[in-house]
Amino acid sequence: MSEDYKVADISLAEFGRKEIDIAQHEMPGLMAIRDKYAAEQPLKDVRIMGSLHMTIQTAVLIETLVALGAKVRWCSCNIFSTQDHAAAAIAATGVPVFAWKGESLEEYWWCTERALNFGDGQGPELIVDDGGDATLLIHKGYQLENGDRSFVDSEGGSLEEGVIKDLLKNLNEKQPQRWHGVVADWHGVSEETTTGVHRLYQMVEAGELLIPAINVNDSVTKSKFDNLYGCRESLLDGIKRATDVMIAGKVGVVCGYGDVGKGCAQALKGMGAQVIVSEVDPICALQATMEGFRVMPVEDSLGIGDIYVTTTGNKDIITPRSHAWHERSGHRL
Amino acid sequence: MRGMKDQAIVCNIGHFDNEIQMEALDESDAVKTNIKPQVDKYTFPGGNEIFMLAEGRLVNLGCATGHPSFVMSNSFANQTLAQIDLWKNKGKYENKVYLLSKELDEEVARLHLEKIGAKLTVLSKEQADYIGVDVTGPFKPAHYRY
Repeated sequence: MSEDYKVADISLAEFGRKEIDIAQHEMPGLMAIRDKYAAEQPLKDVRIMGSLHMTIQTAVLIETLVALGAKVRWCSCNIFSTQDHAAAAIAATGVPVFAWKGESLEEYWWCTERALNFGDGQGPELIVDDGGDATLLIHKGYQLENGDRSFVDSEGGSLEEGVIKDLLKNLNEKQPQRWHGVVADWHGVSEETTTGVHRLYQMVEAGELLIPAINVNDSVTKSKFDNLYGCRESLLDGIKRATDVMIAGKVGVVCGYGDVGKGCAQALKGMGAQVIVSEVDPICALQATMEGFRVMPVEDSLGIGDIYVTTTGNKDIITPRSHAWHERSGHRL
Repeated sequence: MRGMKDQAIVCNIGHFDNEIQMEALDESDAVKTNIKPQVDKYTFPGGNEIFMLAEGRLVNLGCATGHPSFVMSNSFANQTLAQIDLWKNKGKYENKVYLLSKELDEEVARLHLEKIGAKLTVLSKEQADYIGVDVTGPFKPAHYRY
């Protein structure tokens, strides 16, 4: 039998372990929870699946769940977000991880399915989700098994939707009751992010949610910290590593002024950029003006903006066609 | 994107890659040149170029290593407490969306203060009574927005 994990390079485990050790010192909340609950083992033998960026920080989360007794399987929730040394270090401890940096869409959903498969037809009893992809896959598979083919047979949608539909149809042929078996043992999901929480509320509204969910995103110590102060540091880290561009003197255009947008705008301003914000919500727009930012639609920033950052959680914010739209509006670029 | 300044940088830190219409961009007349992993240049027929980071997916995780550990400790402490809560109360919750209690939210914050050298002020009983809270919290009503 082949190994029950798939990572880019298992030999990176030692490097990953060194960075996990460093991260533990910066993660006092998780370490305190380990201290408090390790003896009690509140998650003893609970099958937990996680779909959340397989980074060094997530490694500390996984090892916290394991320290509390859980049996964990993991995948990333983004094709580029895995840190291969983190994945290797976790796989080396015997926790099945299916994640590497630079997955194809087919590989990504294969990883999700593998992480959901605890063997002998068993699925997870709890899920840690980020963006709701694991929850989505189970719900869509469950619907299909109920004879509802509206999703898998629907036309159009993104490339990624096509991949999900193919995966579900294939699974359905091989294991027609797979997801009903999973749902029977599934007791809940805790969702990490704004987008996933939005999906959950939509499912409740439609009467489709199959399990209880905890909205972790809207804990104050999550959305008012991770989304705001996290992005305030990691946005420019990403832009700098990618481009080495000088931020000072540039015009940054931040699309959306929620918690993430606020953090991004502050970061750009802090490094000396001028900042323009686009917003649909008058309250957030007014907040942006009170911080000294110009507020205008993206279209009006064309020809001015040097760095565009989308933070909205909505779709179609920046399009290739902006120019045509702008020409129609009569402005010269 | 066609109308952006030459050499503009475009990235997404929302959640999914559909904030920027990547599929439409890739099907457009712009010519794509890979610079390095997760950095692509698109050249429009008029000659202006833009840089797309992480193929429109999360730039902080695609081009760097995501958020720092300290802030993620807050998020993941919430995740861990949520998992414990779901398991402890299995069979009791309806198929709805719940929030963690304010007590747990305050506890997560409290766990992070010592590390960065912050020391909390403690309310006197009289002060706590005056604003109608317990000395140990929670300190704010549910509708408080922080």
